[in-house]
Amino acid sequence: MTATVVVSGLKKTFFDEGRGEVRAVDGIDFECSQGEIFGLLGANGAGKTTTLRMLATILAPTGGSASVLGHDVAAAPEDVRRSLGFYSATTALYPRLTARETLEFFARINRYPAARVKARTAALIARFGLGDYADARVDKLSTGMKQKVSIARTVAHDPPVLIFDEPTVGLDVLNAIEMQKVIREFRDEGKTIIFSTHIMSEAEKLCDRIAIIHRGTIHACATLAALREATGHRYLEDIFVHYVEQAERAHGGEAA
Amino acid sequence: MRLDRATVATLFASELRTVLRDRRTVIMSIVLPLLIMPLMLYTGRWNEQRRQHKLEETVYTYVVVGAEADAARAAIAAAPPMAAAKGKDKPAAFRFKEVTVGDPAAALTASGIHFYLEAEKGAPAAATAPAAEAKGGAEAGRAGAADKESEQESEQESDERLEKPIAGVTSVTIVFRADRDSSGEGARRMGERLESARRELRIATLHRLGLSVQSDDIAAVAESNAASAAQVTGLQLGRYVTLFLLMFVLSGGAVVATDTLAGEKERGTLETLLTTAVSRREVIVAKHLLILSVALMITVIQVANLLVYIGFRLIPAPANFAAVIPPGRALLLLVLFLPVIALASSVLLLVSGNAKTYKEAQLYFFPVFLLGMLPALAPMLPGIRLRSAIVLVPISNLAVAVKEVLVGVPDWPMIAVAWAVTAGAAFWVGWLAERTLSTERLITASDVSAEEARGGPALFPRRVLRWFAAIWAILFAVALNMGEDADIRAQLAFNLGVLFLGGSLLMIRRYRLDRVQALALRAPRPAVWLAVLVGAPAGALTATGIFVLANLVIPVPRQMIEAFGQALLPDSIPFWQVLALFSIAPGICEEIAFRGVLLHGLRSRFHPAVLALVAGAIFGVFHVTLFRIVPTAFLGVLLAAVVLLTGSIFPAMLWHALNNVLGLLAGHYGWALHDLDAGLYLAATAVLALAFWIIYRNRTPYPGLRPWRR
Repeated sequence: MTATVVVSGLKKTFFDEGRGEVRAVDGIDFECSQGEIFGLLGANGAGKTTTLRMLATILAPTGGSASVLGHDVAAAPEDVRRSLGFYSATTALYPRLTARETLEFFARINRYPAARVKARTAALIARFGLGDYADARVDKLSTGMKQKVSIARTVAHDPPVLIFDEPTVGLDVLNAIEMQKVIREFRDEGKTIIFSTHIMSEAEKLCDRIAIIHRGTIHACATLAALREATGHRYLEDIFVHYVEQAERAHGGEAA
Repeated sequence: MRLDRATVATLFASELRTVLRDRRTVIMSIVLPLLIMPLMLYTGRWNEQRRQHKLEETVYTYVVVGAEADAARAAIAAAPPMAAAKGKDKPAAFRFKEVTVGDPAAALTASGIHFYLEAEKGAPAAATAPAAEAKGGAEAGRAGAADKESEQESEQESDERLEKPIAGVTSVTIVFRADRDSSGEGARRMGERLESARRELRIATLHRLGLSVQSDDIAAVAESNAASAAQVTGLQLGRYVTLFLLMFVLSGGAVVATDTLAGEKERGTLETLLTTAVSRREVIVAKHLLILSVALMITVIQVANLLVYIGFRLIPAPANFAAVIPPGRALLLLVLFLPVIALASSVLLLVSGNAKTYKEAQLYFFPVFLLGMLPALAPMLPGIRLRSAIVLVPISNLAVAVKEVLVGVPDWPMIAVAWAVTAGAAFWVGWLAERTLSTERLITASDVSAEEARGGPALFPRRVLRWFAAIWAILFAVALNMGEDADIRAQLAFNLGVLFLGGSLLMIRRYRLDRVQALALRAPRPAVWLAVLVGAPAGALTATGIFVLANLVIPVPRQMIEAFGQALLPDSIPFWQVLALFSIAPGICEEIAFRGVLLHGLRSRFHPAVLALVAGAIFGVFHVTLFRIVPTAFLGVLLAAVVLLTGSIFPAMLWHALNNVLGLLAGHYGWALHDLDAGLYLAATAVLALAFWIIYRNRTPYPGLRPWRR
């Protein structure tokens, strides 16, 4: 199976007036393939969102490279963005458009073939059960409905790669489970999914492979079974703590 | 970067739909102004009518005091009654009533009477009424103001008919209070009445002496206006039209501009948009079009609104309004205004792009609104013409162009330049707005770049143009405010010593620049000096040739050049001083600024050839007088090239000084360098090329440049 997303030596350095140089992402490598859910597991501030934003070309990498379906994020950002759908808790919808208008809009600007936009929109409305609300303005919809419209808009142009950046943050259990179900469906349709979370159970249930990220560095990247074998721990929580403590010891040694 | 028309159209349509669905926006920006405007006009008119009515109805009470009170009463009685209603639409009789009070001044202060008359025999001229003298003599004979505050007011009423009291002749002073409507109006009417009585009396006296004179014969003064009525209206309209347009565009455009970028940031939709396949440029173009069309829409609605009121006579229409703006000219005005509207939209977009929240954008709006209006005031400057440095100031230039078009003296080549400058500014600001979408502070907490965090020399290349823009602004402002007769030496000392030298040293200090690097303080190869000796005069002649050529495109009036020469060579300053001031000082100070810090700051931003052109053009723009820009820019390019090739500032200093000496000598001895044979200019160009060949062969390149070839 060929890799659809390739990340190698990716770095992002910020300058902060208070903290000076901040290495948010410090040279990470990973690859993802079609039909796989790849999980980035890390605490807040570990570099998950920065990595995903570099993949989505909203942030420019300071070093290293990343590509989506062979398009380099620095050289061909528009082709990269066309090949992926990006969902996060902060990507909002236009409140004054209707659900149908929203889906048509995102299909068009992502250059989905114009002749098929209507049919695609209708199919998405049917799939996500938006029928009764399709022509109501988004700001009038319930949180659950908004979430469905938001997922539908992410895949409006049927992209082969999907990025979910902490998609269940702020959702209640039922909505979170609904979200996990949808993500699994997308995987089964053959899409590549990169998924970030700090919730262990979610990663355990959903991810085919898990990368443990801490202080901008990936400390382990394997299937859950392989991680269990390597660490001797049963639960992902213990596995995660194992790697973080290891990293902290190395970091402390480096500092001393 | 990609710019797909269908995508832009989709973005634009969606944005417009969103705006139109926002009831608050539509009400605040379109419906409310449409309702408030007539309300304001009605209230204003109603107020004015009531005030007039009240003034007409009032019976004006007054007191006559003084030794000659009876003479004054006789004069009032003798005045023809028509005079009272002079200049009024309806000849209503004006009612006066004399009353008697003990202390007229106190009664006036207590509003017991409207005014009082003091009638005295005029004293000998030297001792004329001290009260009248105290008022600067402007009001002598009339209107003895009751207190200090009213003096200013009453001065507006000063009238040349009024004379100083003459010894032995009755003189009447009307004392009133200008801070009271009715008092001022009554005094004015009484003044008119006495004046006409005096006229009658004078004619009667002349008749009695056997002279036959009609009042019209005494002094017939007529005015004849050579400009057509339409041109006069054009001038009035031209002064204000751009200002009003900008007011509508900025206030109308701001409503959507704040919402479109800052608002989207706040709602989180911008991040969604930026993760789609649209390019930053497509986003900016669509948003710019949105602001532009909404601003245009609101402007059209407001103007139509105004026209309706003019139609209903709620607002007095300017005379010959229709004659000033025939359809063809209206279309031309629209074309001229397009870059102005586009620039205003770009600025609004930039402001919105720099704000993180809707509220922050709103906060920025007011100063931007005021500053944005400022350039539109240019046509009100007395005697301003497009053929001046104003052509380089965006918005101001088109505002002046519009005035000239309306007056009927369009200067087409200059209008084309003005249009291009403002349109260019609109594109540039639009590009800056596009960059705000790429800056990471949009989505991250950090909003300082590495260079900014570190400061020092690394930051300087990103700041150098701002510094020079600030220096230019000061230079321009000082040049505008410097009187014609200001000492050229003081002006020069300020420009060279304070702005160029002081500014350069400040930049070196502020960014901790290495002096040798920043000012290129290195020794060139000896042969370079020879090349400079040959090249400087050849370059000056070539520049003159270029000036002659440029003159074919944009002719410069000869008297303008002569006046400039005159300013440089005032008879009051000895020639040796002129030589030192205008060649050695610029040779040092201007070189340090332009071929020193400017070149150093820009060295890695452009390809060396482009760098020389850019640095030269900037040098040209600093010579505020328009006709000097092209030749000085040429000189600037030459000097920058010399520094870049030799890696040293010293040959450029000598070249610059020599160049100026040559120009001064030509002016002093009256050499007609502008009327030489074309062949001589070509020969000079060949010599110049030779000089550069020598320099090229002896080059010691400037460090830190971009490679010549990739």
